[in-house]
Amino acid sequence: MLMPTSVPWADEESLGSFLERRRVSRREFLGFCAEITAILGLASTMAPQVAEALQAIKRPSVIWLQLQECTGCVESVVRTAEPTIGDLVLDVVSLDYQHTLMAAAGHQAEKALQDSMAANRGKYLLVVTGSVPLKANGVYTTIGGRTAKVILEEAAAGAAAVIAVGACAHWGSVQAARPNPTGAVGVSDIVKDKPVVNIAGCPPIGDVVTATIVHYLTFGRVPELDHDGRPMFAYGARIHDQCPRRANFDAGQFVEEFDDAAARKGWCLYHVGCKGPATFSPCPIFMWNTRTSWPIGAGHPCIGCTERNFWDSMSPFYTRMPNVAGVGVERTADLIGAALAVGATAGVVAHAAATGVHQIRARRAARELPVVSNAPPPPPPPPPSNPEGR
Amino acid sequence: MTEQVGGTVDTARARGLAHPADAPVGHYRWVYLWHWPIRAMHWVAAISIVLLIFTGFAIGRPYYLPAGQVTGEFFIGWMRLIHFIAAGALVATVIVRVYWLFAGNRYERFAALLPVRPSDWVNMFKQIKYYLMIRPERAPRYLGHNPLQQLSYTLIYLVAIVMIVTGFAMYGQANPGGLIRGATLWVPQLLGGMQNVRLVHHVLTWAFLIFIPIHVYLSIRADVIERGGTMSSIITGGRFVRSDEEFIDG
Repeated sequence: MLMPTSVPWADEESLGSFLERRRVSRREFLGFCAEITAILGLASTMAPQVAEALQAIKRPSVIWLQLQECTGCVESVVRTAEPTIGDLVLDVVSLDYQHTLMAAAGHQAEKALQDSMAANRGKYLLVVTGSVPLKANGVYTTIGGRTAKVILEEAAAGAAAVIAVGACAHWGSVQAARPNPTGAVGVSDIVKDKPVVNIAGCPPIGDVVTATIVHYLTFGRVPELDHDGRPMFAYGARIHDQCPRRANFDAGQFVEEFDDAAARKGWCLYHVGCKGPATFSPCPIFMWNTRTSWPIGAGHPCIGCTERNFWDSMSPFYTRMPNVAGVGVERTADLIGAALAVGATAGVVAHAAATGVHQIRARRAARELPVVSNAPPPPPPPPPSNPEGR
Repeated sequence: MTEQVGGTVDTARARGLAHPADAPVGHYRWVYLWHWPIRAMHWVAAISIVLLIFTGFAIGRPYYLPAGQVTGEFFIGWMRLIHFIAAGALVATVIVRVYWLFAGNRYERFAALLPVRPSDWVNMFKQIKYYLMIRPERAPRYLGHNPLQQLSYTLIYLVAIVMIVTGFAMYGQANPGGLIRGATLWVPQLLGGMQNVRLVHHVLTWAFLIFIPIHVYLSIRADVIERGGTMSSIITGGRFVRSDEEFIDG
């Protein structure tokens, strides 16, 4: 692990010479480049190109705003698994403003933010965690007496690119769940004039943040995004389609309760509420905590935290289906459906019985009626033309 | 020994009790109503919907299997394969049905989708009263579908379309960059998330399970009472009607 150092990255110095000065070996640097190339889903033959581009970059300026949030995303990113060079470059050396990690505080910290925005106008990367509360003129989050909306708009105006990290910055997360008392919205609801990359998740995997920033530094543009502004290299496949328990799903081997034998065997968690079939995230591949494990790997169903509105739309987290609103927790959709289908079938049986009784009575009555004429039926009329109906 | 029913009876007096089954004597004509694409579409849809219901429940939760039972190495996989193939067949029937709304006869075209004239709506309520046995005499008769049939079949068409749209919205997730995913992204956005799409798809299955017994029962019942070969009309395309009978849409 490379620790922060008293040898700072000089303003006009390239990353290559800075790393050399830090005695980072060429092998270590190329290893980092190969890993990032793999995470970005690029061909391994691209690794030298990434290395070449990356070693030439000048010190980037990164401003990290923390708005209405719990700091969990920062915790996740500072635990980025392997790219220790990424840590060094992005978390420690280049962060001009990050009010949790920086040494300065109060007016000194706010001055650092203003200075950096002024000095790097149009060039700095803006990373945002946390949502923006809009109700009551945004008083629910203020820093230095200014609301989150004002701070974000000011910082975004001079940013080269905006990266919204975490579900809060993506769409508002838990504070935006019904009834959303503070009127929380995501970054892309405020910043409309430039592309916002949404690193979805509550929290997201730190490697995705690092890789997105490296992509920007290497290619000078943000990676390909999906319909919700999420990088395709990370959110381009469904958990269900990458899941190591998919074979159990296909075989019909399901956990029904958390302490049953199936759970101990590590079978599929679909019936205990896994939202993997509706969730796009690289969790099964990147995993968490230095690639130790991830929720489904640890036997917990996915709660769908990379999807918009997941607190409302993916809950209840431990049942496969949402409850029917207004009917009550116990009365699930199936109960109502089954009751109606049974009711329809019972109605059909009763109706058939009633029809039968009618028929018998009607025929008996008809037989008892006097036959008024026993004359043979009239001669058949000429066959009518067969109406084709056209 | 078969019951001999002949001669002419005073039906006016009989009607006061209940309507008797039509006597199977007299002069009948055969009316061709349903062209082969409609009949083929009906049976393909019927088979695929039954397959979709069974495999759909198996995918969602195999109710009819004991919990935790090992059901084979690829049980859900096969269920999904059958489900998707049957879904494709159902889409094909939609295409045929839509085409035949333009190409069909007057009983198969757009006008047959819904009761349009006010008198048809009146007749629809007469039909409901007849089915509920509030009015013993038979409702005004139609050669094609009566207004209640038109409305219920159109509703089940709509259910099928919603099932297809929600189904493909879920199916498309397997290939996020693909055509199906791109064409169905509006579905979760409209319904408030993929879980609600799943819920709608699941709940509407019950619409078929409610429709099917009623539909099959009323078809058999019509055949028994009218003795005009209603059931075989979806196989041969036509049915027998008495020559002297008047029809609203005849």
